[in-house]
Amino acid sequence: MNGSNQTAIEETVNSDNIMIEMIKVSRTYEPNITALSDISLSVETGEMFFLIGRSGAGKTTLLKLICNMEVPTKGLIEVAGYNINQLKGKDLAHLRQKIGVAYQDFKLLSERTVAENIAIAMEVSYKKPRAIKQRVRDLLDQLLLADKHNSITSDLSRGEQQRVALARAVANSPRLILVDEPTGNLDASTTKQVMELLNRSKMAGATIVIATHDASIYQQSTHRVMELRNGAIHSLTRGDQ
Amino acid sequence: MNFWFAVFRQTGRNLRQTWTSQFMTFLTVSLSVLIFAFFYLIYTNMLGTGDRLSDDLRLIVYLEEEPGSEMKEQLRRKIKNFDDVEEIIFVSKAEAYEHFVTQLGDDSDVLTGMPENFLPASIEVVPLKSLRGYNQIKLFSEYLASLPGTEKVQYGQEWVERFYYFTRLITIVVLLSGMLLILTATFMVAYTIRLTIMGRKDELELLRLVGATNSYIRTPFLLEGILQGFMGSVIGLSALYCLFQWISVHFAGPGILNLFQFNFFSFRVILLIILGSIALCSLGSYSSIRKFLKF
Repeated sequence: MNGSNQTAIEETVNSDNIMIEMIKVSRTYEPNITALSDISLSVETGEMFFLIGRSGAGKTTLLKLICNMEVPTKGLIEVAGYNINQLKGKDLAHLRQKIGVAYQDFKLLSERTVAENIAIAMEVSYKKPRAIKQRVRDLLDQLLLADKHNSITSDLSRGEQQRVALARAVANSPRLILVDEPTGNLDASTTKQVMELLNRSKMAGATIVIATHDASIYQQSTHRVMELRNGAIHSLTRGDQ
Repeated sequence: MNFWFAVFRQTGRNLRQTWTSQFMTFLTVSLSVLIFAFFYLIYTNMLGTGDRLSDDLRLIVYLEEEPGSEMKEQLRRKIKNFDDVEEIIFVSKAEAYEHFVTQLGDDSDVLTGMPENFLPASIEVVPLKSLRGYNQIKLFSEYLASLPGTEKVQYGQEWVERFYYFTRLITIVVLLSGMLLILTATFMVAYTIRLTIMGRKDELELLRLVGATNSYIRTPFLLEGILQGFMGSVIGLSALYCLFQWISVHFAGPGILNLFQFNFFSFRVILLIILGSIALCSLGSYSSIRKFLKF
C-alpha cells in the first residue's frame, strides 16, 4: 500500500459511522464444530460494546474474526468499511495498527520487560522513542504498574500481566480496541482502574468491544450488551435493561 | 522514529538475543571464504605464472638438413598455413654451434676437436599469444612434425603438459570449493535465521498482529544476512592475507616459490568476493524469512 492508501485507511477509520459490520458470519472448525453461526452485527464508531456468554459461547472467536486472526467460514466482516479478509500485506498491517487487541492469553513476550512489551505496538508504527517512553510511563501510572517498568513480564502475576496486555492494546491510540476478559484476574479496585482507562479511550473516540464474564462492568451501564449462546446471538440489550 | 531506525534497533536486539548461533554462522562463513579464496589465490597466481612462462614459449623444429633459401621460404609458408606466428627464426648448423659455445662459456673447450656442424639446423617458431592453449600447442607441434624434412619438434612437452594438468586440477578445486562456499554459507545462514525465527515465533506473530509490515519483520533478518556475509568475508580474506604475508616472509629467498611471482588479490577481486558472500548470505536469510511470512 502506498502513502495515499494508508492515509485513506486512516481517514476511513476515523470518519465512518460504522466501525464493525458483520453479516451472517459463521465459523466452523474441523471436523464439524460450529463456533459461530450466522452472526450479524453492527458496532458504531466510538461505541463501547459488551460481548457476554458462557465459556465456549464464541466470544473469543468473534474477537479473533474481527482482528483477522482467524477467517470466517462464511459471511462478511468489514472493519472501518474494509473487508478485513480481503486486505493483505501493507494494507492489512496499517489497518491492524489501528486495532488494539488485549488477548485472553495476553500474548506477552515473556523474556522482555513490561516497557518493551507495551512499546512494541508503537514501534511498528514508527512513533518517536521519546513519545513511546512517555506513553509507556503514562499507561503504567494509570494501571498502577509504575514500579514494574523494567520487570520481566514472566515475573509478574496474572493480574499484572493482564494489565500489561491491556496497556499494549491501547498504547498506539487505536481507533478500535478489542478486549478479551479484561478483568478476569483483577480485584475490584484494579478493575475500576482498567475500566477508567478503557473509558478514557472511548472518550478519545475509540470503539471498544469487550468480551467478559464480569457482570459488574456492564450492568448499570447504557452500553449495548450482546449475549452469545452456542455460537449464536441469544440477546442484544442495554446494560441497564 | 523512521523505518530504518526501527529496523536497526530490531537487528541489534536479534543479534544480542541469538549471538551464539550468529557467531557460529559467522565462523562458518569466514572459513568458507578462507578455503575458497585460498584456492582461488593459488589458481590466479598459477594462471599468471602460466602467462609469464608462455611468453617464452617457442617450438624448436629440428631439420634433417640445412635448408636452402627456397626451402626456407616453403617452410615459412607451410608454417604460416597452420596459423600466423609471432616469429620464425632459422638457425643454421654453424649458428647452433655458436650458440652452444656461448652457452658453455668457460667450458666450451669440451668441444675441442668436434666438427662445427654436428648440431642439426633448426627453426625456432614463436607462436602468437592467442595460440597458447595446451591442446593448440600440441596440435601445432604435430603439424610442424609432419612437415617434410622435420626430424623432431621440441617445446618442453613434459613441462607444459604437467603445468596444464596442474592448472586443471586447481581449476577443479577452485570450482568445488566455490560451490562448497555457496552451499555452506547459504545453508548455514538460512539455518541460523530459521532457528532465530523458530525461537522468536511468538514475537514475530505478535508483530504481525500489532500491524508490523512484512518489510519491518523481514528487513532485520536481511540485515543480519548482509552483516554475516560482510563480516565473514572480511575476516576470511584478512586471515588469508596474514597467511599470504607469512608465506612471503618465511619462504622468501632462493627456493621453488621464487619461480612464481605471488600476488594477492586485486581490490576488484576482493570487492567481488565480499559482494558475492553478502549476496549468498542475504539469499539464505531471505529464503528463510520468506517461508515464515507466507503463512
